[in-house]
Amino acid sequence: MTFSILLKRLGYGVLLMLGVVVLNFLLIRLAPGDPAMVIAGEMGGATEEMLSSIRAEYGLDQPVLTQLWIYISNVATGDLGQSYFFNQSVTSLIAQRIGPTILLVLVAQLLSILLGVFMGVIAARRPNGPISAFVSVFATVGYAVPVFWTGIMLIIFFASVFPIFPVEGMASIRMRNAAWYMQWLDIAHHLVLPAVTLAIIYLAQYARLSRASMMEVLGSDYIRTARAKGAGERAVLFRHALRNAALPILTVAGLQFGNLISGALLVETVFNWPGMGRLAFDSILRRDYPTIMGVLFFASMMVVVANILTDLSYRLADPRLRGKG
Amino acid sequence: MTALLEIEDLRVTFNTRHGQVTALDSVSLHVNEGETLGVVGESGCGKSITALSVMGLIPSPPGRIAGGEIRLDGENLVGASDKRLRRLRGAEAAMIFQEPMTSLNPVFTVGEQIAEAIMLHQKVSHDRAFRDAIELLDRVGIPSPESRARDYPHQLSGGMRQRVMIAMAVSCRPRVLIADEPTTALDVTVQAQIFDLLNEIQRDFGAAIVLITHDMGAISEMADRVAVMYAGRVIEEASADNVLDHPLHPYARGLIDCIPALGREETDLKEIPGVVPPLHLLGEGCAFADRCAHCEPRCLREKPRLVTHGNHPAAHPAACHGVEEGRI
Ligand SMILES: Nc1ncnc2c1ncn2[C@@H]1O[C@H](COP(=O)(O)OP(=O)(O)OP(=O)(O)O)[C@@H](O)[C@H]1O
Ligand SMILES: [Mg+2]
Repeated sequence: MTFSILLKRLGYGVLLMLGVVVLNFLLIRLAPGDPAMVIAGEMGGATEEMLSSIRAEYGLDQPVLTQLWIYISNVATGDLGQSYFFNQSVTSLIAQRIGPTILLVLVAQLLSILLGVFMGVIAARRPNGPISAFVSVFATVGYAVPVFWTGIMLIIFFASVFPIFPVEGMASIRMRNAAWYMQWLDIAHHLVLPAVTLAIIYLAQYARLSRASMMEVLGSDYIRTARAKGAGERAVLFRHALRNAALPILTVAGLQFGNLISGALLVETVFNWPGMGRLAFDSILRRDYPTIMGVLFFASMMVVVANILTDLSYRLADPRLRGKG
Repeated sequence: MTALLEIEDLRVTFNTRHGQVTALDSVSLHVNEGETLGVVGESGCGKSITALSVMGLIPSPPGRIAGGEIRLDGENLVGASDKRLRRLRGAEAAMIFQEPMTSLNPVFTVGEQIAEAIMLHQKVSHDRAFRDAIELLDRVGIPSPESRARDYPHQLSGGMRQRVMIAMAVSCRPRVLIADEPTTALDVTVQAQIFDLLNEIQRDFGAAIVLITHDMGAISEMADRVAVMYAGRVIEEASADNVLDHPLHPYARGLIDCIPALGREETDLKEIPGVVPPLHLLGEGCAFADRCAHCEPRCLREKPRLVTHGNHPAAHPAACHGVEEGRI
């Protein structure tokens, strides 16, 4: 039963990705500018002869639909084309960058969910208490402040006032030959500021959401039942209430994943984190169309996978949904 | 002899947007071991609040026990520590709630929820507790308890869920079992089954039962004694037969007139005119005055006290000036 649901979700996922590929392709083609000019620009001068030979080489002289068809069949075999700028296949470019991005996004997601939910739970216990007030203010501020601003403020603070965290890159050069665990620690050290920057905005949202969700659940009849059988406050909060309050949080976490990835793009740029965000930024500046499309493709893929995982975990968490298509 | 559970002059207040209201006003009740006390009254008269007070579960804020005592075996529970109340809940006093559809946690299996109640009060392994839970499910008449124990609440009907609640409530053999309208949400046939079950359980476990209901029929079948409540006060109290056959307070009479007699047409069903006044509008006098056919100026000025008037063999406590003056 669950297996057939998984298959169904995967099927939707594949269809969705196909749609993404088509849209990406068409949008890029609709954008003003001639890719051949861009490629020629990178190579230096541009005579009409050169342009037409570039067009022929990259298949740009074909009708758009034919190009689309070629692109789709290439993508299906894992070939995302050749970067105009980096002189590498897009697939290998992304393969180098996707690890750091996934690391950043997952750590930020975990950080914001764990901390945010914890804050929300504590706040919901005493809706009129000082912690609750702090969470509300923090949530509003955290939500209102753009990530690049938080990032820049953190950089200023940690670069000049209190230099305990690196503000740039993912690894120190002096660690290149250190033991593997030292290298990992070094990466973790570099990860602190970008992850915190990216997490703050979502952390605020999770805090607010779980505060509201917990308050609703805490007023429900089954919480009264739990108390009536003599369960302690901690069991009531974390066993009985949180399991139920987590359901809307899971939904939002799934939906937020896409935003988190686009947030990562900015954060990577601010902190010079060597992930797909930087790659996207560089390739947009250089109109490196195949790379842009490749980055979009993988970002969409991450969102689709995250949504499938959310859906499955939702079913796991809520027995009422198990077995429902 | 002191009663097993004694409530004396209990006063519960709520902070509402109409200011502070008194939901319970000098409520006194008692139940003896093995006895069933029926508590009746219309919606909103304070039955559930009385029950929740005993369990130490008044939602606070906005609620607060503002005075009085609740004694279990002589021990005052008002102002007892959280720790003491946690040990009490589920073990010495247990409660079955009015809302079977929503009173079970949707994300745990019912067997798990009963096992939890057992493990909170007894030092037993999880396996043992789960096996006990299955036994209890069998005991409350749930067919194929082995597999039902692994069901989630949404897979069971309302009647089944209420049985689960009962199994959970009796899992630690409480001395006092409070059943707050255990059947209101259920079919008539299921209602009879639940009452039978409560009777059996009382026989087997010897618990004192407080049965809250607004169904006088259930009272006549189940209760030894009855307390009639109105707007946060007990207005009449006596043995069940006494109240049913010789109700004194006009409100109690009204309630009993509402019992549909066998063979009587549904259309003959009487109803007490008017509604319970909201708590913040309770004035100086008798809360029932504006619905009472026997209302006199004194009733609007002065709250009647719950005392026995006269020396008729069926005389029993009633809070009514009319009864006191022999008018009614
Ligand atoms: N959380 C609360 N805040 C304010 N007032 C409350 C609250 N809970 C209960 N009350 C008041 O206390 C009074 C008694 O409520 P209670 O739930 O005990 O009624 P009841 O007799 O159990 O009625 P029903 O038959 O509908 O269950 C009601 O008038 C209600 O307005
Ligand atoms: Mg009630």
